[in-house]
Amino acid sequence: MTSSFPGAAGAAWHAGEDLLASYAAGTAEAVDGWSVEAHLTGCASCRAALSAQVDPERLARNRSALLVRAAIGDGGRARRLLRRCGVPDHVVSLLAATPSLRGSWLGSVIAVVAVVAGEAAAVSYGWIPGGGLVAGRPGAVILAPFLLVAPLLVLAGVAAAFLPVFDPAWRLAAAAPFSGFTLLLVRAVCALAAALIPVTGAAFVLPGPGWLPVALLLPSLALSAAALAAATVMDPRAAAVTAAALWALPVLWLASAHVPLLIVAPDAQVACAAALCACAAVLYLRRDRFELGWMR
Amino acid sequence: MTLNVSTAAVRVEGLSRRYGAIRALDAVDLTLDRGITGLLGPNGAGKTTLLSILATVSEPDAGRVSVFGLDPADAAERVEIRRGLGYLPQELGYHRYFTVAAFLDYVAILKEITDRRRRAEEVARVLAVTGLEDRARSRIRALSGGMRQRLGIAQALLGGPDLLILDEPTAGLDPEQRLRFRELLSDLPDEPAIVLSTHQADDIAAICPQVIVLLKGKVQFTGTPAGLAGTAAGRVWAADERDDRAHLSWRGGDGRWRHIGDEQPPGAELVTPTVEDGYLLLSHAAGDR
Amino acid sequence: MRPEAGERDDAALLRAVARGDEAALAVLYDRHAGWLTVRMTRRCATPDLVDHAVQDTFLAVWREAGAYRGGGDVAAFIWGIGIRRLIDAIRREHGPRRQRWRAAEPETVVSAEDQVLAGIEHGRLGQALAGLSPELRGAIEATVLDGLTCAEAAVLLGVAEGTVKSRCHRARVALRAALAGQQAGTGGAAYDQEAWGTS
Repeated sequence: MTSSFPGAAGAAWHAGEDLLASYAAGTAEAVDGWSVEAHLTGCASCRAALSAQVDPERLARNRSALLVRAAIGDGGRARRLLRRCGVPDHVVSLLAATPSLRGSWLGSVIAVVAVVAGEAAAVSYGWIPGGGLVAGRPGAVILAPFLLVAPLLVLAGVAAAFLPVFDPAWRLAAAAPFSGFTLLLVRAVCALAAALIPVTGAAFVLPGPGWLPVALLLPSLALSAAALAAATVMDPRAAAVTAAALWALPVLWLASAHVPLLIVAPDAQVACAAALCACAAVLYLRRDRFELGWMR
Repeated sequence: MTLNVSTAAVRVEGLSRRYGAIRALDAVDLTLDRGITGLLGPNGAGKTTLLSILATVSEPDAGRVSVFGLDPADAAERVEIRRGLGYLPQELGYHRYFTVAAFLDYVAILKEITDRRRRAEEVARVLAVTGLEDRARSRIRALSGGMRQRLGIAQALLGGPDLLILDEPTAGLDPEQRLRFRELLSDLPDEPAIVLSTHQADDIAAICPQVIVLLKGKVQFTGTPAGLAGTAAGRVWAADERDDRAHLSWRGGDGRWRHIGDEQPPGAELVTPTVEDGYLLLSHAAGDR
Repeated sequence: MRPEAGERDDAALLRAVARGDEAALAVLYDRHAGWLTVRMTRRCATPDLVDHAVQDTFLAVWREAGAYRGGGDVAAFIWGIGIRRLIDAIRREHGPRRQRWRAAEPETVVSAEDQVLAGIEHGRLGQALAGLSPELRGAIEATVLDGLTCAEAAVLLGVAEGTVKSRCHRARVALRAALAGQQAGTGGAAYDQEAWGTS
């Protein structure tokens, strides 16, 4: 059965060649297998002898794949969390290559929001002197900067998901079989969600109507959808700028008329919802534009 | 990755493309077979436009393209073409924060290799082919120009493409790097069809059995490098002095003057033309110089 | 075949890996991937799954090298990680609801531990095990059936680690002898004496 019998206790027991060979081939008996396995745990020379029996090409292949995976790394806590939540690994990696989902970008967004919202809050709570007192209605106009900036920050995050200036390797993505539209959507949706968090959070801090945090949702979505839909008919940079102007101009005009909150009034919300549906439809119908040469 | 490959990997008929008033490509017809084909021409000749159309990144204004017998104008066939493509654009950008391995992993995902382990194996394979295994963890911005070009080739090789499109892969490389690059191309496993563009004639002479000369958006020559050299037969002279009547005159590496012209300059002898001579003659004829 | 003096031992390699030394990971792989592959193959006959599990194991070693407290063989540490990764790989492949061991599926081989469990109730192995003294049997069950390291088994059994090792060794001697005795049809007594005779 085997050619190595254990000697008396105290003699060194090593797995003989035949035993190792049959173990490597999978033909060793269960007990012999246990013997070998328990022995290998403590004996480097038998481990080396066994390694020599394994297909070297297979070992080399796994070795280089291992070193590559170690080189790539698993990306840190955020990505590990996403993977554990069930997001497929390749989607996580694609998201990681989006500028507006990186810590530095989100940090900047938070900083801007903090400054704008903080200033508005400070003025309204009287911590710093400020203007905005008009006709006995303090506070409405001081919200104007925040109302202007917040959805634009969300738009910027979405724009970074599709503007070629933000993706240095966009030509590779264009020439690759992975669906351009899917890539865009995944990135845009995540960038949208990521930007909305600080924006909504800051809206809670601000004085103003209690529905302000929720009220920013539809305009942000509508703006982003408008930029994406416009990118199917015009140059993407022009599309982003156009969408930004579509928001900035009304806000500034209403602010100059001292009624900036009208931009998030119920009527405006309905208009945003309608715009969102229309743009989403256009985006879906013209999604092929994202598959071929739409970035000239 | 095997597609339906007949002898001709790529067929182009009547391809035209303009940017505003500039005609980048003007009714170009060509056929690319398996093996390495060089696309030779000066900057602005339309090489990049042609290659980006072949890589399905741009659309032509007119004309028909067929890659592996598939039509890039059709959405489904276009995806099929892309599955067999490897593309190195002229200005390949990298995200600043990418390491070599992470970048290749990213491109592998774009090439639809979704399984993490298969991706790692494929990345390891191309790193080995291009000799970049030791640099897997380096940041791309820390690489030298020659290594970045090798990385560009590595990403093009992911997925084992049947058609490799390389746009000015030797630009910015010093002569030694260019030499190593040529060796790399000649020794590729899987033997894909390769088309590379360059404005340096000695790249062509060294590795391309087929050459196409593109000048001002039109194909001026199709054939072998020897054939291209042969177009200047009887018109290349070497002398010790300048001759202003020659079409072109320049001092060669050996210190003697080289003239291309129809008339024999005084004191000059006829020499065997090189690929570069043929190319220069064609350029001159097309009015580029 | 013997590791040269001057090469780092496995524990030093693990410490280097914990510091982020990739070359140390490669050396660790070169030393341990062979037996890991074989040992996993004895539990799972699908080469792909084993390959994945081997890679996952060393990746986990790369990440968790700091968790090694120097209290046992490095090989045992690696196996402890490896068996978990193998189970993960099998579970991912075959889905969480399906049993790991189904006689109808040739891909998933019954593990050695389970073979033993099956044998204990009904087989000559059970008889052989029954012929062991309680100490030897305990050592076998702790280290083989439960897959514990000698250190862990030592804690469990309340004895020194060296004692666990020698007990396992003697138990294997006795088991093999008992099984051979059963096969040959002779009584086990003479062999048992031989086994008990060794200390």
